[in-house]
Parts: sequence; C-alpha cells; structure tokens
Amino acid sequence: MKLAHLLRSTALAGIVVLGGTAAQAETFRWASTTDPQTMDPHAVNAAPVLSFLNNIYEGLVRRNQGMAIEPSLAASWEQLEGENGWRFNLRQGVTFQDGSDFTAEDVMFSYERASSEASDVRSWFAPVTEVRVVDEFTIDFVTNAPNPLFPDSIANFLILDSGWAAANGAELPARDSENFATREANGTGPFMLSSRDPGVRTTLAPFDGWWDEAQGNVTEAIFTPIGNSSTGLAALLSGEIDFIEPIPLQDVGQVEGRDGFKVIEGEETRVIMFGFGHEHEALLYSSETEGTNPFTDPRVRLAAAHALNMDAIDRVVMRGKIEAASQLVPAGISGFSEANAERPAYDPDRARELLAEAGYPDGFSFGLKCTNDRYINDEALCRAASSMFAAVGLDAELTSVPVRNYWEQLRADDFDMYLLGWSPGTFDAEHPIRFLLHSQDDEARLGSWNFGNYSNARVDELLPQIQQELDPATRQTLIDELVAISQEEVAYIPLYTQPLIWAAKENIDLTQRADNFFMLRWVSVN
Amino acid sequence: MVYFILKRLFQSIFVMLAVAFLSFSLFRFVGDPVSQMTGVETTVEDRERLREELGLNDPFLFQFARFTGDLLQGDFGYSYRTRQPVAEMIADRIPATLELGTVALIISLLVGIPAGVYTALNPRGFVTQSILLTTLVGVSIPTFVIGIMLIFLFGVQLGWLPTFGRGGTVQIGGWTSSLFTVEGWRALILPAFTLGVYQLTLTMRLVRAEMMEVMRSDYILFATARGIPWRRLHFRHALANTMVPVITIIGLQFGGVIAFSIVTESVFQWPGMGLLFLESIRFVDIPVMGVYLVVIAFFFVLVNLAVDLLYIAIDPRLRVKEAA
Repeated sequence: MKLAHLLRSTALAGIVVLGGTAAQAETFRWASTTDPQTMDPHAVNAAPVLSFLNNIYEGLVRRNQGMAIEPSLAASWEQLEGENGWRFNLRQGVTFQDGSDFTAEDVMFSYERASSEASDVRSWFAPVTEVRVVDEFTIDFVTNAPNPLFPDSIANFLILDSGWAAANGAELPARDSENFATREANGTGPFMLSSRDPGVRTTLAPFDGWWDEAQGNVTEAIFTPIGNSSTGLAALLSGEIDFIEPIPLQDVGQVEGRDGFKVIEGEETRVIMFGFGHEHEALLYSSETEGTNPFTDPRVRLAAAHALNMDAIDRVVMRGKIEAASQLVPAGISGFSEANAERPAYDPDRARELLAEAGYPDGFSFGLKCTNDRYINDEALCRAASSMFAAVGLDAELTSVPVRNYWEQLRADDFDMYLLGWSPGTFDAEHPIRFLLHSQDDEARLGSWNFGNYSNARVDELLPQIQQELDPATRQTLIDELVAISQEEVAYIPLYTQPLIWAAKENIDLTQRADNFFMLRWVSVN
Repeated sequence: MVYFILKRLFQSIFVMLAVAFLSFSLFRFVGDPVSQMTGVETTVEDRERLREELGLNDPFLFQFARFTGDLLQGDFGYSYRTRQPVAEMIADRIPATLELGTVALIISLLVGIPAGVYTALNPRGFVTQSILLTTLVGVSIPTFVIGIMLIFLFGVQLGWLPTFGRGGTVQIGGWTSSLFTVEGWRALILPAFTLGVYQLTLTMRLVRAEMMEVMRSDYILFATARGIPWRRLHFRHALANTMVPVITIIGLQFGGVIAFSIVTESVFQWPGMGLLFLESIRFVDIPVMGVYLVVIAFFFVLVNLAVDLLYIAIDPRLRVKEAA
C-alpha cells in the first residue's frame, strides 16, 4: 500500500518535471485560493471541487455562459408519460478519455455511486425513487412527485465510466481513505487530468476526442492554489500566472492601474443576509431584556431592516460593487419575485417608531454573530451594520469567528442575530426556500440551514406545491405569495448580492459565470 | 556516547506524547471537521453518520488513545480533507521545508558570522553602524511584510525572481529537491532570505558581543604580545572561543526555523509542511495537524541532540567531563 503510493507520487513528480520543459504557445496558468480536495466528483459537494471537475467530467445537462441548462451527455430529455420523472436520451458516439464508450450503463453506475452512503452529493437524488435503463442510450429517472426542476438540479451530477471505476477499485467515493478516483480522473469532458500534485500543482490537457467543439484555444492548463491573496496578486502582476480568482476588493485598483491587466467583475448569485433566532426564548447576549426575545416581534425585525443604509455599506465597505437584495435570490434567477422587488428603505426614524411600538423605546442590546473569513469583507460589513443598528438603539455586541467554528456555533443556537450568505445551488428560488425558510425538519431533510428556525405553516405548505407545479405562471404566483410572507414577517434581512471579482492578463478571454465556476473550454489566450 | 544518544531518543518519546496530548486537547477549539468536509446540501443525518464514522463523538481521552495507539503502530491515519495517507502527505512536504530551513540557516551563518566579526573588530566604523541599524529594522518588521516587500521588489518590479512556489525540482529517490537547478535556486532565494533574516541578525549580534568579550580577555592580550598575526589571532583564537554560545542559540533557533516556517511558506506559497499545516487548520484536518505537531516535536528533540553533540566536538573540556 505504502510502496504503491510512493511509486505513484514519484511517477507524478516525474511528469511534472517533463511537462515543465515542453513550452507551448497556449499554455494557460491560473490560480485560486483553494485547491480542489479531490478529483472524485461524488466525494465532496463543494464549489472548488465541482467547478474544477466540470472541466474533466460532464453531466447529463450543463449550464451555458448565461447559466441556462443545455444538453450535454443527454441530447434531450422529456417528462415521463404516465408517471412522475424524466427520460434522458443520451448522446451517441461519446467516449471517455480512456477510450471506452459512454452508455446508459455508465449513467446508471454513476447514479448508484452518487446516491450511495459514501457520497456527499446524494441529497440531489432524494426525490428519485427508481432509475431504469431503457436501452443503451435511454435512461429514466422516476421521482416521487412531479419534479419540473429535476434536470436543473443535476447539472453537477458528473458521469464516471463504470468499467474504469470497477477496474481500479473506485466503485464508491472515497470516504475514509483515498481510492483511485481521488487523484486520477477519466471523464468525457473537454480536458484530461495530466498530472496532479495535491495542494501544489495540477495540470490539464485538451481531450482530442471530445464530442463538442472547444471555443477556447488552451493546449495546456496549469492550476496552482495560492492561499495568500497578496502573493496571488504578485504572481499575476509579475506575469507568472494568467488569471486568478478571486482577488480582494481592495486590490482592484492595483490591477486596473496597470497596463496589460484587467479586472473581471460580475454579480455572484450569493445573497448576504442577517438571520434571527426566531425560536429562542431569550436573548443570549443581552442584560436588560431578561427572559424575552424582542426579535420574535416582526416589528422589531422590520426596525432592524430599516436601520440599515445599504448605500453607505456599498460605498464604505464594498467599494460600490454590490446590488441591494430584496429577497433570498437575486434578480435574474428563475423564480425571482418581481412583485416583491422592494427592500425596506433606510429609515432610522421609522425604525425607532417601530421599536417604540413594540415596547422598546430605548432599544436593547443583543449579540450579532459573524464570520471573518467566509464572505467578502464580512467582518467590516458587520461592524458597519452594528453602528447603524446602534443609531436606532439596537446595541449589537459583535462576535466574529472563522468559518471553521461558525456553523457549529450556529447549530448550537449560540447567536441572537447572525450573518449568512446563500447561493442557490439549483439557480432557482426554490432552493433557499427549502434550506432557509421551511421549518427545520430533519426527517424530511428540510430547513437544514434555517438556524433560527423561522417557521410559518403557509410557507411549509407552499414549498411542496412550488416543487411540483409544472405550469410556470402558477408556480410564480405561489413563489410570489411565499416571498411576500417572508418579507412581511422579515424572516431574514436580505442585504445584497456579493460581487465576483476576478483578475487576468489583458490577452486572456474568458467567461465569468454567476456560479463562480471557471470553465477552461471558454478560455482563449490571444 | 551511544548510551547518551539512546537516552535522549527515549526521552523524545515522552516529549512527543506530551505534545500530542496538548495539541489534541486544543483541536476541539479549532472547529468542526464535519462542516468542512461536507457540502451545504448534505443532510443533518448524513453529517451525523460521518461524525460517528470518524469517531468524533467518542470521549476526548478515547480519541487521544486511538491516535497515539495508531501512531505507535506506524499508522498515521488519513487526511479528512484529501483522504490521502497522512504519512505520505507529510513525507512529500518535508524536503521543501528542510531545504528552505537549511538554506536560510546557511545564509544567516555566511552573512551573520563575518558581519559579527567585522562589527566587533571595528565597533565605531560607519559601516558597522549602518549594518547594525539595517538589521535592527530587519528584525522589527514582521516576516510576512518582509516577504511581501521582497516579492513586490524582486518579483513584480524588477522581475528577476519568481514570486511563488518551488520551481525546477528534481526527484532523487523519495526526495524532491530544488537545489540542483538554477530555476530551483531562483525560487528558493527569496523565501530562504525572508526566513533567515531574523536568524542572521541574531547570529551577527551574538558573534559581535561574544567576540568583543573575548578580545578583551588575557589570552588574546598575551597572544597579541607574542606577535601572532592578526588574521590568525582573530579567526583561530578569538572566533573559536566565541562559537559555543553561538552554536547553542543557533541550534535551538534552527528548530524554530523549521517549526515556524509557516508564515514564510504561506507568503511564498512554498509547498512545505508549514503550508500543509495552515491548510489543515483551515479545513480542521485533525489527523494532519496531530501528526505535524508530533513530527515538529521530534525535530526539536533531534536538533537539541545535535547541539549537544556539537558542543562536545567544539569544546574539548566537555569531552573530558563526559568521559569521567
């Protein structure tokens, strides 16, 4: 076992040395803060991993530059007749990078692998009751209820070759110890893994046999994780890398001020918000509100919302790069409620009035819990918000912790108000409803990130209807009703959508997708 | 002699156990590994199952006993983050850190000792005063600031040296070395200097103080009277006698250089153990953190042992004592 590892890492290092000498015109070097932990597409459901592996592996469907779903390994799909679910008609003539053919068997195998207990992506298949191989190029996914969004929800369900996995003992995702698929890859996608030194350097080469036509011209891609943002900036400015994502807001000027470099900016789909301990009987970080929790009163929550000046936060903390948010998804996401696109205006007088009405004319103190390394300038945001709250009498005691401690503390209900960012994984308004607005229900696997346990019977009733409604107009009416409830009750205070800030050399053409995924097939080195 | 070495190695086991115990009792404050290992959509029950599988629900002492038990059997476990064997991850990163630390040490000695001798022999010169002032500034600035400044000067402005990483490595057996190519040295020089700058100042000031002390002693006066040439006097008679305390401090510092190369490695994205440790903290990768700290403790023990042995080599009086 040990010897095999040693031999493999020796062989890998040998490839790295050789690869370095073969200089090519369209070599593309890029860096990001986090190394993908694994090359196994089912082992970790994390953006750095799935973004990277979408260059090597492919799903049945994929997202285009504008985030819309388009055919990939499935050439087309339609709803099943007579039962709930979807039929996928697979693309013919597709081969894996090792030369074997892609068939429905591989999809079946990948489904079994991805929905196994060892997989971290199995929640995608929670609605699936049965999968049937109809013929070599047709496969049916049967669901427990009508599920119009199912194809969208499996855009990152990446397909492995069953023969390759079986031959190399990688039938299941690695849980305790690594297996062959942790450091090797064999997809159908536009790029092949040519070497991997975890945490140091990963290189990719184009796959000649790819079924689709590449829109970029990269012939060799070298990825290096660079954790320290100053080092990353220096690496870009010195010309050693062609592209880096993300860069800190405060470095934007440095890059823009130099010839030959550019900043690529866009809005991420992540909405930053404050949440409340709806269910807490008393405030934890307050002396004068003995035994009561003022935040259970919607007027107090609305007062907090009115206290926040988003323009000032945009100007002071986020350097003018944010888009204020009215609901838990940004405009442009499917299901966004146009009818409820207003957010509570900055109105400190109204906030004081509301507090007085609720019985707190002098305000009260409470604990605000924030991360300091998870979202862009998160700690600065919370400090700015605290002083805005203080101006209306809401005296926030701010605690900032690293994200590695954060979720544990939120799960232990250690907060009065907290910061949260949410990116809808399915790019549909239903996603945050399922995770943030539905009451906590471990059995039904709902509300798992609803830390304060906001609970409204009508919301809980609307969610399954939204999930199953096939008619888009009716579905939107249901969503509009739900968003109106959540705004009226101030379930959360949505603040803004976070910007995406990438930096590259001037001669690099690339596409920035709102999910922060980076696709090499759209990269051109000019 | 052999008995002495064996005794020290035996003691080192207790040092490592103590370090393992202390670090293990702190890990619970680092964060929750399961949140870092799973995605947002993972269900509460799947998370709980993983926690159970990893044995994170077991009592602290039980977890500690399992960790040390496995360690004593040579099983270093698997990383929570990458699922790779921890022994292999650390072994892969050791060469980078050792080479960086050693080159940093050599730079500090090659510059620090001559500078110390020079400033001791010409205590009032203009050059001496400027050296003393520059090095004082050098130690007062935090390592990462020095690193970033060097990167922007030599990497970005002048474009002479790479800004990050370890280039031009050559594989010799299981050892990845950057000492055999020009590219490797180019990547090594900035981080090594950054890491060595504190050491350098310390060495210089120590040599200077000791040397000035020795130069005032009777035997130097006597040797001067005998008409021994200056060069021989300074380097053969005076310098040799300044070296015992210098070696102690430098030796002890070297353990620190290896252990605390974390900052330098992070600034230069140098793929050594320190960088691995930093990544492991971010992901609450308990197996890697535990093994790293035990390995570092072992390094400290080794370095101290080497220092003791060097004493005996340099100072004949200690040899007599040991024999007696």
